[in-house]
Amino acid sequence: MLEVEALNVTYGRTRAVQSLDMTVGDNEVVTVLGSNGAGKTSLLRALQGAVGTSGGRIVFDGKNITAKSPAARVKAGMVLVPEGRQIFVSMTVNENLLMGAYLRRDDNIERDLTEIYDRFPNLAERRHMSAKTLSGGEQQMLAIGRALVGRPRLIMLDEPSLGLSPLYVDRLFNLLGELNKDGIAILLVEQNTSMALDIASRGYVLELGRKVLEDRAEALATNTALTEAYLGGSDGDGSARVLDEQP
Amino acid sequence: MLLIQQLVNSIMLGSVYVTVAVAFTLTIGILNFLNFTIPTLFMLAGMMGWALSYYGLPFGLSGPMPWPLALAVGVVLAILASLLVERFTFRYLKTRYGDSTEHAIPLVSSLGFLLILENLVRIGYGTEERRFVGPDADLTLNVGGLFIRVPQLISLFVTVLIVIFLTMLIRRTRIGRGLRAIAENPDAANILGVDTKRVVPVVFMLTGLLCGLAGALFAVNYGEVSPLMGEDIGTKAIAGMVIGGLGSIWGAVIGGLIVGVLELMTVHFFGADTVQVVVWGALLLTLIAYPSGLLGHNAIGKGKL
Repeated sequence: MLEVEALNVTYGRTRAVQSLDMTVGDNEVVTVLGSNGAGKTSLLRALQGAVGTSGGRIVFDGKNITAKSPAARVKAGMVLVPEGRQIFVSMTVNENLLMGAYLRRDDNIERDLTEIYDRFPNLAERRHMSAKTLSGGEQQMLAIGRALVGRPRLIMLDEPSLGLSPLYVDRLFNLLGELNKDGIAILLVEQNTSMALDIASRGYVLELGRKVLEDRAEALATNTALTEAYLGGSDGDGSARVLDEQP
Repeated sequence: MLLIQQLVNSIMLGSVYVTVAVAFTLTIGILNFLNFTIPTLFMLAGMMGWALSYYGLPFGLSGPMPWPLALAVGVVLAILASLLVERFTFRYLKTRYGDSTEHAIPLVSSLGFLLILENLVRIGYGTEERRFVGPDADLTLNVGGLFIRVPQLISLFVTVLIVIFLTMLIRRTRIGRGLRAIAENPDAANILGVDTKRVVPVVFMLTGLLCGLAGALFAVNYGEVSPLMGEDIGTKAIAGMVIGGLGSIWGAVIGGLIVGVLELMTVHFFGADTVQVVVWGALLLTLIAYPSGLLGHNAIGKGKL
């Protein structure tokens, strides 16, 4: 579904991502791990077209989209749930969801909104209230709901569990599992490495913009050298945090 | 009675300030950009409306036009000029030489556009005031002893319609949601597929439309136009916008009306020379009591609409 070849992302003289190769298969869950400054956010933003690339190719569904606008990528079926959620607090919950359908011109938007509200009853109750009245967890659900209204086939999430209560972290990962069952491929950047590796089939580890490791998720989860070096341990209780990624 | 008559007049005058103040506040609210070409767009519609109804098209391409057509063409020219400003000051200079937080470059270049357009009109038609012969500006209604001039009443009506139209556009439509998304968080809007290059010109079209209509209504109401007519209106509209609160459309409405009332009351009690002192004094006092204006929000530059 997504193929990345020799991707470079550069800010001024900083090389955020360097000659990175990676793939996400149809209906696959892939996670990208690494400490702060490893280039994970830059990678996702480049994949969505929010920052330009300085080399390499991004291919989605067999089409080269390297030079395409974010809008074209949303239309093609990929969507980014950005770090920090970035919901529109000056809008209502419903208007936020409609922003996810900004590029849609079909008549089924209302039906899809109903579907989202069925999935997130908390949001349905507050559909006409300002999005800033939502709790952090609800805001994350709104950000994901907003992405889903665009009917993506690949959803990319940047640190979705950051700042969530344990209850919402569980809900989040259950939700990602459900979405994947519905046929949506997921590219997940997470600090909660044990849960990310739990849900993913494969993982990549980045360090200073370079890929240092790629493997099946089970192999990464049991790789003690890796968990000690980059991931701050994985004790399997879902609360593992990489030390230098604490907010 | 004279005082009430002055109040009626000042609301009519205020409605011109309202339209221009709404144009200012729209660009600030969505793009965080103080667009200095606004007074020129106002002048352009009035002056071109006059020139077309007096001379017709340049190079003898047409004879003098009927005044409604001339003003309509003036409004269209104001919209086109506004799009030109977007293309060459806001978009080109900002994307090429500034980052998304750069304000000085578009601001200074829009000031450049103000001076260039104003002086081009002066070169073409001279600096003196011209008499715009429109409908009978003295046609008046007598409501219980108060004289209300019909063209002014129509202007007020048009102003109210424009403000309602804009509010609906921004609150209820897809393009309005796109504009508000850009206003609050351009990066998130971009990620969701809101194409800034397509949406930002909408702001400038609306700016041109508002200023053009205000200029046309001004020409009809006061029967006089000049290349400098935008300057006084522009500064007072800015004052009205700031009093009402940056980025708030209804704030601009209230602020514009307040400036209109202040102006005519000052003229009534103290004479014309005192007007700017009172208007800007009121602005400073308002800011001391309400630092973000009467209806403004605290955050500058984010989600103000």
